[in-house]
Amino acid sequence: MKSLIPRLIRRLFGGIIMILAVASFTFFLIHLIPGNPALSKLTSLEMSGVQPRQAELEVSAIYGFLPHQPLYIQYLQYIWQLLHLNLGKSIMYAGISVSHLLLLALPWTVFTVTAGIIVSFVVGILAGVLIAVYRDRWFGNGITLFSTFLHGIPQLIMALLLAYLLTTIWPIFPYGSPYKASMTPGFTLPFIGSLIFHAILPVAAYAISSYGGWALTMKSSVVSVLGDDFILASELRGLKPRIRIGYIARNAILPLFTTLTLSIGFMFGGSVFIEQIFDYRGLGYMLITATTNLDYPLMAGAFLIITTAVIVANILADFLYTAIDPRIRVQ
Amino acid sequence: MSAAVIFPPDQAPTTARNPSLATIAWRALTRKSGRIIGVLILLFFISMAIFGPMLYPKQLPINGANLYAPPSWAHPLGTDFEGTGVLAEIVTGSRYVLSAAALAALFTIAVGTFMGIVSGYFLGLTDNIIMRITDFILTIPGFPLLIVLSTIWSFGSPIAMGVVLGLTGWGGLARAVRSQTLSLRERGFIEAARGLGLSNGHIIGREILPNIAPYIAMNLLLSVTGAIYAEVGLFFLGVIPFQANNWGVMLNLAFGNGAMYTPQSLLYMISPMACIMLVTFGIVLTLDALDEILNPRLREG
Repeated sequence: MKSLIPRLIRRLFGGIIMILAVASFTFFLIHLIPGNPALSKLTSLEMSGVQPRQAELEVSAIYGFLPHQPLYIQYLQYIWQLLHLNLGKSIMYAGISVSHLLLLALPWTVFTVTAGIIVSFVVGILAGVLIAVYRDRWFGNGITLFSTFLHGIPQLIMALLLAYLLTTIWPIFPYGSPYKASMTPGFTLPFIGSLIFHAILPVAAYAISSYGGWALTMKSSVVSVLGDDFILASELRGLKPRIRIGYIARNAILPLFTTLTLSIGFMFGGSVFIEQIFDYRGLGYMLITATTNLDYPLMAGAFLIITTAVIVANILADFLYTAIDPRIRVQ
Repeated sequence: MSAAVIFPPDQAPTTARNPSLATIAWRALTRKSGRIIGVLILLFFISMAIFGPMLYPKQLPINGANLYAPPSWAHPLGTDFEGTGVLAEIVTGSRYVLSAAALAALFTIAVGTFMGIVSGYFLGLTDNIIMRITDFILTIPGFPLLIVLSTIWSFGSPIAMGVVLGLTGWGGLARAVRSQTLSLRERGFIEAARGLGLSNGHIIGREILPNIAPYIAMNLLLSVTGAIYAEVGLFFLGVIPFQANNWGVMLNLAFGNGAMYTPQSLLYMISPMACIMLVTFGIVLTLDALDEILNPRLREG
């Protein structure tokens, strides 16, 4: 346990550096946008007769910096505002702060992405064990082929196919909103039921497009664990199959946690499509609408939050791995 | 090959006994019927991209009286929300999709291989810096990054699209190439080359690169699928102003014009997706054959 703390500190430090790098990226991005939106906003405000002081206040409230100052001062202003969790003000939702909008959007993305990761992880592990156990029979080969094929289909296509086939061609599932429009949100049973029912397709789109990777990794992991001496020993000792499967699964799951970190980024990246197609007002949706409506503060904020979420989730997954596998801690 | 210096001449591989590359390729292809199908699918789409657009006018006709028409002789895949033939759109759109994907794959391979070899061969500070950048690129989710980049970079032409996809997508390959280089640089023939005083450029270009070439060739094909998903996704989301028709634009227009809500648009919705999946399928099957051609150990079995 001792080496856990320095490791934690090192990982957190790396994460902070990375977030800072992304923040710098968004800062320079806004400056590279053709037409310099911040400066032109300031000029147009001054042209329309707004007091210069007033115009400056307004522009710096939107973008977090004053566009006619030296670049390093603008940069420091921007980072200073970020440290106060101030991401500026939205343009399309006039006057509303970006952090408020993103705070409203965050739960939708976390809800669907987390559900997607859990479902694909569980399904993938079960499928992987099945493939490994039945690997010489048609049943195992069938699942392998199926998983490989589905693994190749991108989230965009999977989401569009599910949405089109299961809501329009065979109208089984509802489509177009995260819950029934006539309901008022709240902690009531019918509302939560409707929420889950509407979430089946998006979560399935996440899960189907990524469980294959888990399944194939789990299969090779199980097969290699099956060859270990301790499995033979437990078999010779006459342990019950149920206990032996526990031994196998616990050891075989471990390598999958390294893949988990890659999967988190993949899922958050895919949220852009799934939220657009199923009309979830999450972070990905915000990123797209902000980009297409030239709402640069909201766009930069959404990008920053998505990346931060991925970095934080990566650190968490890393710690989960360390906590589960004692061998890592020794190094 | 400088390895000839090490082996006496009578042990050097003779070309007379070994079958030629064409024979090996043919044998690998015909071993499984799926591989032939894969190559045929790819050839079909490549010729569609090259010759297909010549069959149709530059501006496809619209017909307000013929919306979401069922398949007919004039429109074998039916029509879309404007009455334009779906098959015509698929064929004319294939050129952009495939050329941008091929360029993107080339750029990805070039950057990824360069970074990986330099990092794995020189080690030390160079390795440290390159691997930090790689970690960074791999952590940032690719699609959001591309969306944000679309505000400052015009992705309109296949070359611009290929450059951007290449510059954002090399992380995974660089890591893999680095680990291959790491294991190669400890092998005897590299040490011999270093002992002979050959330059770093020579060792990297003539000794290391040929040894990881098969791996790179496989990744080239694999990157094509990734690039197709990325560009189609970007066009679907509508963050890039589109100049010409392609499969991503088709999906964007279908989604934006309510094709999702009517069962009559089945062929219109499914066609671009089916094409993307078919190309992927063809690539996966071809990869299987390529693996055997390039990997001598698989050939014996």
